Parts: sequence; structure tokens; C-alpha cells
Amino acid sequence: MNKHMLFILKTTLLFSPVIISTSVIAEDVLLDRQAPIPAAEKSSDSEYLVPRDLSLIPDTPFGEKVKLGYSLFVNSQTMRGQYVGNEQTCSNCHMQGGARANAAPLWGAFMSYPAYRSKNDKVNTYAERIQGCFTYSMNGLPPEQDSPEMVALTAYSYWLAMGGLLDKHGMQSTEIPEISDAAIQLGGKADSFEMPDALAKKLPVDKRNALAGRGFPKIAEPELPASRERGEIVYKEICASCHGANGEGIKANGVQSFPPLWGAEAFNWGAGMMRVNTAAYFIYENMPLGKSVQLTNQQAWDVAIFMNTHERPQDPRFTGSIEETRSIYHDTPVSYYGIVVDGVLLGENSYPSQAVDEKGE
Amino acid sequence: MIFDQFRRYCIAASCLLLITSPTFASTSPTIQTCTSCHGADGLGVANFTPALAGLSEAYLTSQIELYMTGRRVNSMMTPMSSLLKDPKLQKQTLAYFAALPAAEITELEKPGEHAIILDPARRLIYQGDWSRDIPACSTCHGPSGQGVAAFPRLANQHSEYIEGQLLMWQSGMRRGDHNNVMGNIASKLTKTEISQLAQYFATVK
Repeated sequence: MNKHMLFILKTTLLFSPVIISTSVIAEDVLLDRQAPIPAAEKSSDSEYLVPRDLSLIPDTPFGEKVKLGYSLFVNSQTMRGQYVGNEQTCSNCHMQGGARANAAPLWGAFMSYPAYRSKNDKVNTYAERIQGCFTYSMNGLPPEQDSPEMVALTAYSYWLAMGGLLDKHGMQSTEIPEISDAAIQLGGKADSFEMPDALAKKLPVDKRNALAGRGFPKIAEPELPASRERGEIVYKEICASCHGANGEGIKANGVQSFPPLWGAEAFNWGAGMMRVNTAAYFIYENMPLGKSVQLTNQQAWDVAIFMNTHERPQDPRFTGSIEETRSIYHDTPVSYYGIVVDGVLLGENSYPSQAVDEKGE
Repeated sequence: MIFDQFRRYCIAASCLLLITSPTFASTSPTIQTCTSCHGADGLGVANFTPALAGLSEAYLTSQIELYMTGRRVNSMMTPMSSLLKDPKLQKQTLAYFAALPAAEITELEKPGEHAIILDPARRLIYQGDWSRDIPACSTCHGPSGQGVAAFPRLANQHSEYIEGQLLMWQSGMRRGDHNNVMGNIASKLTKTEISQLAQYFATVK
């Protein structure tokens, strides 16, 4: 216990916030496409979309894209070295192959794009949002729009969303329309997005990005300020059996089974999960796997800050200066990038970002 | 009484093996006591003992510790585990069994390889059933149930052993897993599913 008490968090805000308007960011700066995962109040179970059973994926060219999307999503390590630069798989965070409410489901995200982002003064398509996942969460390089991988991942998302919507609105016998790759990559919130008339009437454009169960459900602020030392205790007791004593995850017989949470093989400093609040919401709702244990609100915040005060791959938007990178992209109390924790400046000893050519299979 | 009878049986059996086994010179008496029930090849005996070959040292160690501390109880293994009190002997013995070869899995299946899975057991293994908060078995037990670190191999394990253990997890007779993960999942499985899963894992190729 004393050992833990001595493990004092020395957090110092080194840099005062610097307000930089978007116009200052050069054109060639990597666009911030990793919008914060939405956090909404939790809804009742009956409101969530339930995608159709995977066995109903049609035996058509479109169905083949959907199936490939599922496979890439559930075993993303098949893209290691090309698009994926770490030991992460999409479904590590998007549980149940991206179908599960309150685990940032693909159907919720699909229906929220295209979306205007003030940060880069640009409308981002759904495909661009997924490219953000590859750049940050997967610490890789994103597949191009219209690439087989992007077509597949977006087709799978669309199939989940449309099946769930049709069923929710009593249209179980309606087949999921097979629309073009281009329309799907744009996203379900486009004015031009084709939906059966009955559905379009029930779901006008402005309501599509607010489906119950999208993102991770928000939890209350912690009763006590989140504590790294309490978080370490939670981590050792509950999380380490799967994620390793040092956050390294478990890889057995060459197969990634449990994802690393920090270090070279984890999501990088630009990923949504590096935000302490996003991590706390995710952990509270979805961890440990199978929910045999429910963490308290306090435990979720404590272990989230513990996880997110470790080094990980550098933010791909790194400008060459940690101070500047923090002021542009991390000017928020939920990011510990550029903060001194336990005497070490986070971001200073980061691992390589976009590590796709080093360990390709 | 049952313990004593079993102990006598095992000692007798191990004596027999001592005489007949061509490998006895290279293995300790303790290992021979274990092999008298689990087989010289560590593959176990149907309706009697589980296969140990293919199980990781981490898993075997955790289970012996559970038996020794009384958190896992079995009329045979609770007394037998006391033979492994000495840490050095325990490590040597468990490393021996962990190193024994299990059947090779020639068609290793990883999660995500197939979107459409109709076999109910295989579906639970690779996709789980999230409407009941059941994650895919393969998440922890690995592709084709080949085991992951301290999560035991299930592939080619005797079906009646897997079935019996899942029923014991369900009833609370078997305990000692971290975070109650397995007890929690088993409690949601139906008897039919348990039987199907046991059959599937036992016959993994």
C-alpha cells in the first residue's frame, strides 16, 4: 500500500493554452479526422438498433464486400504492415464486430457521416472517418477511398445500419438495398443517401446522427479526482490478466488475442481512446470482456487515467514540438500528451507513428 | 475415505508403470504418479482424466495452486496436488506436462475468418452471443481453442471433461477464475450449448 502511496502523480501543466485558428494550420498538415467519439446519455435497450444476423448477408458481389468488411474488422491483423501498424483489431473496442450498442457501433457512426468538422473546416465522409481510425487507433496508413478494404469496411457498416433500421421500423421483409460503393463511402447522413421511402420519412437527415446507443455512454464525473495510483491498483486486480502487467496485451502463437493498451503496439497519441473521458466511458460500459465484473464509476476513471498516462506511439500530427502539438491538438484536460507525469514528459519518449513498414507480415 | 482409496489406486498404478514404462528412468516418481492417471503421453483417459498435453505451464500452475489452496476442489486432485508442494518439483512436473505434444491442429480457424457460421457451437466459439453478453470463446481460448497463455487449450480435450467442467462452472462447483469470467459465461449457456461446445472442441482438427 505504501508503495502505491509513494507513487505520486506529479502532473504539471507545462504549457498555457494557445489558441490557434484553423487558418494557421498549413494545408499539408494531417487533417484531424479523429473526431471525439460521441458520448451520449444511455438509452434503454429497446431503443437500440439490432443489425440483422450475419447469416443473412446475401450471396452476391455486394454481400462478398460485406463479408470481407466483417473479416477485416474482426481480424484487422490481416492488414498488418500495409494499413495497420500495431497490435490492434477494430473489434477490440467496437465490440461484437461493431454491431453492439454503446460500444461505438459502426451503424451509429455510418449514419452520422458525412459531417462538418469545424476543426479542419471540411465536410468529412464516412470513409474519411474510417481513414482516421487507421491513422490513429491503428497507428497505420489508411487505405485509399475505393480500395477493396475501404469499400468492404464501409459496405459492412452500411449493411449493419440499414438492416437494423429496416427491422426497427417494421420492415423485416425488405431486403437491404445494394447501393453504389461511392454512396456508401459518403455515409448515411448525406442528403443523397438512398433509403426506402417509408424509412426516409421516419429518419430525416438531421436525426440520423443521434441513434440511441451510438458512441459510448457518458458516465458521471468521478466523485474524487481521477487517480493514477488508485488506477494502477484497479489495473493490476482486474485488467492485467488479459492486458498484461505492462499493458502489452497477449499475443500467443503469433496471434494477437488481447490488445496492448500502451507502448509501441498500442493506439497512438492521436486516437480517441487516449482521451481519459472516452476511455472511462468505454471501460465502464464494456470492460472486462463479458461484464462479469462491473467497475464503479470511480474505478473506471482511475484506471482510464492510469492507462492514458503511459507512452504510446507519437501523434502523427506531431509538428516537431511537443508544446506546439499539445497546444494545437491536445489543448484539453482529458489529454495527457505533453504533460509531465511522474517526472516524465509524455510525448517525449513516444514510439514511431504510422509503423507500417517495420513489421509487415 | 475416497481420497485414500484413490491414492492407493494411483500408487499401485504408478508402481505398475514404473515397471512397464520404458521412460521411467528419465521421469521423476511424481511425474509417474501423474501419468498413472493422465497417461504417459499426457492425453488423459476418456471419462476419467483430462488431457494435460497442450495445456500451458501457466494454466497448469494456476490450477495446482487452486487445488492446493482449496479454491478448486476435486476428490482426486485435491489430495494429489499436495504432492507438488515443493516449488521446484512442481515446476519440473508441470513443465514436463506442458511440453508434451498435443495433436496438431491442421485447420486453425481465427476469429473473423468467416462471417456466416451456421453451426451453433462454432458460432459461439467465433462470434459469441452478445445478446447474452457472451463473448466469442476464441477471444480468450485462441484460434480453434488452441489456448492463450493462462487460458487453457480446449482443442482435442475430452468432450465429457469439457462438458463436466462447464456444468461445474455453471453450478459454482468450479471456481477460481479471474474476475469470474468463466463462471459468468458458463452461467448463461444452455445445457445443449454446453454439450455442443464440448463436442466441437473435442473434435477440432
